[in-house]
Amino acid sequence: MTDQVNNALPDPTQTLIREIARALVDDPDAVEVQALVRDESTVLRLHVSDADIGKVIGKQGRTAHSLRTILSAVSMKYHHRYTLDIVESGEPPARPSLPQE
Amino acid sequence: MPIQDYKTAAETIVQFLKLLTSHGRLRLRYRITAGAGAADPHGLEAREIYIELSGPDAPLLLERDGELLRAMEHIAAKLVHLESEEHDRVSFDAENFKALRAQELRLRAETAAATVLRTREPFPFAPASSRERRLLHLVFRGIAGVETASVGEGAGRMLVVYPAGYDRASYTPPAPPAFAERGRASGRREQSRAPRRR
Repeated sequence: MTDQVNNALPDPTQTLIREIARALVDDPDAVEVQALVRDESTVLRLHVSDADIGKVIGKQGRTAHSLRTILSAVSMKYHHRYTLDIVESGEPPARPSLPQE
Repeated sequence: MPIQDYKTAAETIVQFLKLLTSHGRLRLRYRITAGAGAADPHGLEAREIYIELSGPDAPLLLERDGELLRAMEHIAAKLVHLESEEHDRVSFDAENFKALRAQELRLRAETAAATVLRTREPFPFAPASSRERRLLHLVFRGIAGVETASVGEGAGRMLVVYPAGYDRASYTPPAPPAFAERGRASGRREQSRAPRRR
């Protein structure tokens, strides 16, 4: 299975997660959401500044859990599965790959 | 600390809701009340901003014991910079969920209190969020003969009901993982076996 980075127009869910994250953090300019399109699902990789990682995870992971709950409901509306990865500092960004022929 | 600026807080929440209804395609309508008009008639929440949601997707909010409603509520509280213990200042509701929830909590509290008064043994509730525990503490305030305390750490923190004057140091609450297994196996939220004592 090959991941493809969506470099076209942002997926609406990508925008949704990015805008919510931007409103949650202290450094909104550092927020980036990468969409990795797989066969029947899309992984949204949320990057924030190191100082803001706690803001998007929350105490006992409750903010991250809430974001995933919202994304799960939105998945139903789009009839497509979206999952959220919060990328910890030091993890490299996903590299684009060519679609398989 | 109370919410300082209702207008700004309400606008922030509206922006969040607009994202959910546009990019998130959730078919929801909302009405926001701030200030004295938002007060909880049941006295269980210290709410200052109340968001009533309706529309075709309102039932979706209430699935799995209001999981999506709570998720939206949590994010909204974070967006207006409330600390965890202040989260109930912002309250989301749909289809009268909160009033029904208050009724249910009262019933559960009364049942637990009756058990404690009969057995003279502590009764542990299932681990719950600080918000849920706070609601239960408030419900128990009106019930004579019992006392409540939150015990445990992190996600395993739970509310325990004690007979008034009970030596709390002598009680060991159930370990959360085993508790969860028993809860699932029995299909109940609370553990009703006699608690262990040291």
